[in-house]
Amino acid sequence: MAPKRAVNAPSAPSPSTSAFSSSASTTLSSGPKTLSANSSVPDIAVHVWQQYLTTTPQRTLLLDAFMAFLVLVGGVQFAYCVLAGNYPFNAFLSGFCAAVGQFVLTASLRMQTSSVEGASGKGASSVPVKAGKGAVGRGKDTDGVSHERAFADFVFGSLILHFFCINFIN
Amino acid sequence: MRWCPSLMLFGFLAAVNALSSSGNRLLVVLEDSAEKGLYSTLWGDLEARGYNLIFESPKNEQLSLFELGDRAYDHVLLLPPKSKGFGPSLSPKNLVDFIDSDGNVLLALSGKSTTPSAVSSLLLEFDLHLPSDRSSVAVDHFNYDTLSASEKHDVLVLERPGKLRPDTKDFFGGEGVLAIPSASPHTLGDTSLLAPILRAPATAYSFNPKEDAGSVEDVFATGSQLALVSALQARNSARFTLLGSVESLQDKWFSASVQAPGGKQVETANREFAKQLTAWTFKETGVLKVGKIEHHLVKDDLTVEDLNPTIYRVKNETVFTIEVSEYAYDKYIPFEVPANDALQLEFTMLSPFHRLNLTPTKQTENSTVFSTQFTVPDQHGIFSFRVNYKRPFLTNIEEKHEVTVRHYAHNEYPRSWKISGGWVWIAGLWSVIAGFLAFVVVWLYSAPTSAADRRKKTQ
Amino acid sequence: MAESPVDVLLKGSSGQSTRGLLKVIILVTIAAAAVSSRLFSVIRFESIIHEFDPWFNFRATKYLVQNGFYDFWDWFDDRTWHPLGRVTGGTLYPGLMVTSGVIYHILRFLTIPVDIRNICVLLAPGFSGLTALAMYLLTNEMSSSPSAGLLAAAFMGITPGYISRSVAGSYDNEAIAIFLLVFTFFLWIKAVKIGSIMWGALTALFYGYMVSAWGGYVFITNLIPLHIFVLLCMGRYSSRLYISYTTWYALGTLASMQIPFVGFLPIRNSDHMSALGVFGLLQLVAFADFVRGFIPGKQFQRLLTASIILTAGLAFVGLVVLTMSGVIAPWSGRFYSLWDTGYAKIHIPIIASVSEHQPTAWPSFFFDLNFLIWLFPAGVYMCFRDLKDEHVFVIIYSVLASYFAGVMVRLMLTLTPIVCVAAALVLSYILDTYLKISSGPVTRGRSNEDASEGLRSARTPEVGITSYFSKAATTSSIIVYLLLFVAHCTWVTSNAYSSPSVVLASRMPDGSQFIIDDYREAYYWLRQNTPANAKIMSWWDYGYQIGGMADRPTLVDNNTWNNTHIATVGKAMSSREEVSYPILRQHDVDYVLVVFGGLLGYSGDDINKFLWMVRIAEGIWPDEVKERDFFTARGEYRVDDQATPTMRNSLMYKMSYHNYNKLFPTGQATDRVRGTKLPAESPQLSTLEEAFTSENWIIRIYKVKDLDNFGRDHSNAVAFDKGNKRKKATKKKGARLLRSE
Repeated sequence: MAPKRAVNAPSAPSPSTSAFSSSASTTLSSGPKTLSANSSVPDIAVHVWQQYLTTTPQRTLLLDAFMAFLVLVGGVQFAYCVLAGNYPFNAFLSGFCAAVGQFVLTASLRMQTSSVEGASGKGASSVPVKAGKGAVGRGKDTDGVSHERAFADFVFGSLILHFFCINFIN
Repeated sequence: MRWCPSLMLFGFLAAVNALSSSGNRLLVVLEDSAEKGLYSTLWGDLEARGYNLIFESPKNEQLSLFELGDRAYDHVLLLPPKSKGFGPSLSPKNLVDFIDSDGNVLLALSGKSTTPSAVSSLLLEFDLHLPSDRSSVAVDHFNYDTLSASEKHDVLVLERPGKLRPDTKDFFGGEGVLAIPSASPHTLGDTSLLAPILRAPATAYSFNPKEDAGSVEDVFATGSQLALVSALQARNSARFTLLGSVESLQDKWFSASVQAPGGKQVETANREFAKQLTAWTFKETGVLKVGKIEHHLVKDDLTVEDLNPTIYRVKNETVFTIEVSEYAYDKYIPFEVPANDALQLEFTMLSPFHRLNLTPTKQTENSTVFSTQFTVPDQHGIFSFRVNYKRPFLTNIEEKHEVTVRHYAHNEYPRSWKISGGWVWIAGLWSVIAGFLAFVVVWLYSAPTSAADRRKKTQ
Repeated sequence: MAESPVDVLLKGSSGQSTRGLLKVIILVTIAAAAVSSRLFSVIRFESIIHEFDPWFNFRATKYLVQNGFYDFWDWFDDRTWHPLGRVTGGTLYPGLMVTSGVIYHILRFLTIPVDIRNICVLLAPGFSGLTALAMYLLTNEMSSSPSAGLLAAAFMGITPGYISRSVAGSYDNEAIAIFLLVFTFFLWIKAVKIGSIMWGALTALFYGYMVSAWGGYVFITNLIPLHIFVLLCMGRYSSRLYISYTTWYALGTLASMQIPFVGFLPIRNSDHMSALGVFGLLQLVAFADFVRGFIPGKQFQRLLTASIILTAGLAFVGLVVLTMSGVIAPWSGRFYSLWDTGYAKIHIPIIASVSEHQPTAWPSFFFDLNFLIWLFPAGVYMCFRDLKDEHVFVIIYSVLASYFAGVMVRLMLTLTPIVCVAAALVLSYILDTYLKISSGPVTRGRSNEDASEGLRSARTPEVGITSYFSKAATTSSIIVYLLLFVAHCTWVTSNAYSSPSVVLASRMPDGSQFIIDDYREAYYWLRQNTPANAKIMSWWDYGYQIGGMADRPTLVDNNTWNNTHIATVGKAMSSREEVSYPILRQHDVDYVLVVFGGLLGYSGDDINKFLWMVRIAEGIWPDEVKERDFFTARGEYRVDDQATPTMRNSLMYKMSYHNYNKLFPTGQATDRVRGTKLPAESPQLSTLEEAFTSENWIIRIYKVKDLDNFGRDHSNAVAFDKGNKRKKATKKKGARLLRSE
């Protein structure tokens, strides 16, 4: 049962799954903010969606699509597990973990590539984003990880993941 | 089943006629050589059955049951001593050692003389109890020989014994009556190694002729608790027989006519009984031998390598076979389990997981093959096939064969794709991988544009 | 050790490459020193496997080498835990054996035929050399000063706390696990710093290796999430954290599940739940962070905190519910005993009975770590001064490890690396402060360089220690300390930690060494004189050694997986013969082995362990074995005339002191361990007979008699053999037994 939280969490941050899921979860967190923005919840959702579409580069969209696909696969597997039982437990684990693992790897890739691109290519749009983050040590965020390097890392990690999963599913 | 192979060989080489399964060197301990003539028929019978009789006096200093640490004789027949005991060479300790090393002993006592305390203490070790005065005789006022003991009532006239229990074999039965003169009775302790061969009739009691006739209230034992002939079969299957009346072996009683009160005058069957008794004691009858023991997996084409593996897996189908023969006077014959009884196989780890009846499946010229088939329990560990067959008058079968039962090896579980329930997840996994590959391809395809784009921007 | 200050001096006037070369040379020297100081045991004694657990590892390795990996994996061991057997392949951490197996095959491939025993003996020193290197890397991540890493490596190389588990012959899981621990932490720090998937994946790979090697991997499993959690609470979320942690968790968990012994534990066991919880939490935080990128807002921080608390609470409730309903296994007993030192003693005597699981005594901290232990707090303080992500890690690690080391002697091992790091940070700081400025203008430039890196030097404005006296005084005192440390380490290593404990050494009155080799004498006796599958019963401490050296099946061994079986042995040892004998028969025991130190004054013998046997047996059969019965009315544990009847009738007592008084003049028998006079009469054994007693009486082996041939009691049979006539009197009492067929 434990992985449930894990799947729910990743399912939430992928905005392209459906506009609804994205808006639903923003509703919760944006209660106070609607006051400052003087707009209703659906408006914010639409605003976020719009902004997302405009500011996201094409590659990141690709990433998001892939993540959405993974969430779908993971969700189906999890639902099946809940409905039909988890008899070959190792099969369930490897199938499900593959989806989750691939998801987090992709999310990591997304973070690395989008921020790198933001820094080099689309400086104007992402600078405010970065400035908005007030955390300490932000300045060093994924510095030194180039675009290609990140992708190579991603492939490396994924291959290990797939190896383990295939081995585990037997 | 631990017969010394050399003894077996020796036995077969020396085979003349009928022969004991465990050798033919019979030591007869006789204190007074003059008495030898009293038993001449018995000696003749024994020699006719192939025994090599060696007569010795217990007073002989040279006499020893052992020679260079090995048994010097295969069997010992002890006639009642006249003096205080059998002397140092036949001390209880030596006799116990003799039986420990697979020697058989027939001890005959007599109610006419006081049994020495050394003998009494030896019997006590076997849980055989003599009356405390050690000179009592068995007396029965209903089953006595009216011809010879009309006064003393100490010659008992008895039917020959039948089966001890419904599930045992009968080695001492037959037609006719037995005359047991002046028997020294004894009682049996409660151990499974002891078995009475001939019990006193219900009306018998133990009586000490040397005391006054009035002391009947403190009687040693009465009725069928009194045994006249008893057998002890030690754990190593060595046999010890206690015969209460040595006189019953004398020529005189082999061919005497007796008459019970109110009965007809009949010839005694003592000679036949003596034959049965000596034959049993000296292992001519009731000897079981285990031949081949095989266990293997249920399989169509068995090769030699498949036999008796040391390791099984849980839930294997297994066959166990055991070959048992029985020795009857001069040869091995197929062993037949008595009715109401069964030869059983246990599959044991700490306690039996299976206890199965072995069924006879095949009979060869001189053995029966018993076998059974079962599924190894779902528990790994060190198990043993055990056949533990201990019955009165039959030598013990105690077979124990250790095998290891292991768990499923990692590649003996069904693969995931064989379990239909796992297909969804396998599909999930492969779709993830396929998705990943597609994604990588698309990503690489889209790479040049963005790289070019970036280059343009930087320029 | 002393090279380091020199090193610092040299660096000032050398170029980059010279410094690099020097570093390499120094590191190699340190590694060599680390290896060689662990060879004391080989020199003093011989190339032999030590202690208890290594014997099992050695046996398993031999099995692996002979039968190949797949057989090893499916190994069902029918020579231990008779008659239960042990699914050994699935219940051990295979990392150690596989490592030495691989080394063995590589060497064979290179046509260097080396006996597998020598590989096993030398594996621990070899890996300790690697540990020193890993330590250098780890410490380098913590500090900009190049000397810190070298100092830490040197400390790690020779500190007794680590040597105690890694001398040559100590072929135990810890031998490679500490290297893996340090190296995994290094990779982790690297991953957090860089935030790359590759480092995270590498961390996961080494974590998987670690899981395959040692049960202590749980320490990593909890420490890394805790690190992340603390960073999150400090508001230091960054995508680097997300990347490194999620990569590590996803891959590491999968990797750990590949080990058959671990299996589904990572998602079933509470010990691993914190990692999962932090994983989920991190997803939420990442999502929140993502959303914040689109919605700027001031209240976001508060919202974030609130939602974190909410989810954490929900997760905790979910965990409790799942634990209650049994889906997730509750914490293991060993885990509880970490928090409550009294827990084990009450609930799991078998854990408490292991000397390694006792709380640590204060002197042993100093004994194992020497002056590092008082540099340790200073080092932690330094981390607070310069609080970056990796320093947070050091702090968390120190706090946890110090606590655990205090609870269990064994966990001193996990404390040692961080103490070395902290101490090296402090020392290098002191040395930098006192030495650098005097080294001329080039050094000046270098320290400026440091300052520009924004590290410690910049924050320490007291650049001006120019007094040669204070410099000389401080430096020389530090050098003295370092030299003392080296002397101490060498002394401790050679005297305290190099004994194989299979072979004992003592000094004769004239000072010459006296080797006591009773263990091997007895084990080889068993090997030569008993049938190959004679079952040996002994207390579990000796199970692995009997399996390894005597190659005979045992009832229980140091892998204490079945408490009931151990309790059965405890019951057999602590009961009367009449009770024990059926137990021995049922378990097919052929020989019983006891360790008796009374003649030699060897205190680790079975009589001293006896109360544990009683306690463990009492845990299962409280009605039949009672600890109280082994104490006198005044509550003393005695073996002399005053000993309780229960004690004197127990099998263990009888076996230990059987015929012991014959060594002494009448009435003079003395037990040199307990320091007491013994009863004049030797205990009588009837169901066992003495088979073997070693030269110094340390090992006594008894053969279990077969059932009596005539169905008598053994005591009666023994009495008969001695020539006593059996008394008939017993028969008179009570009603006469009637026999019926």
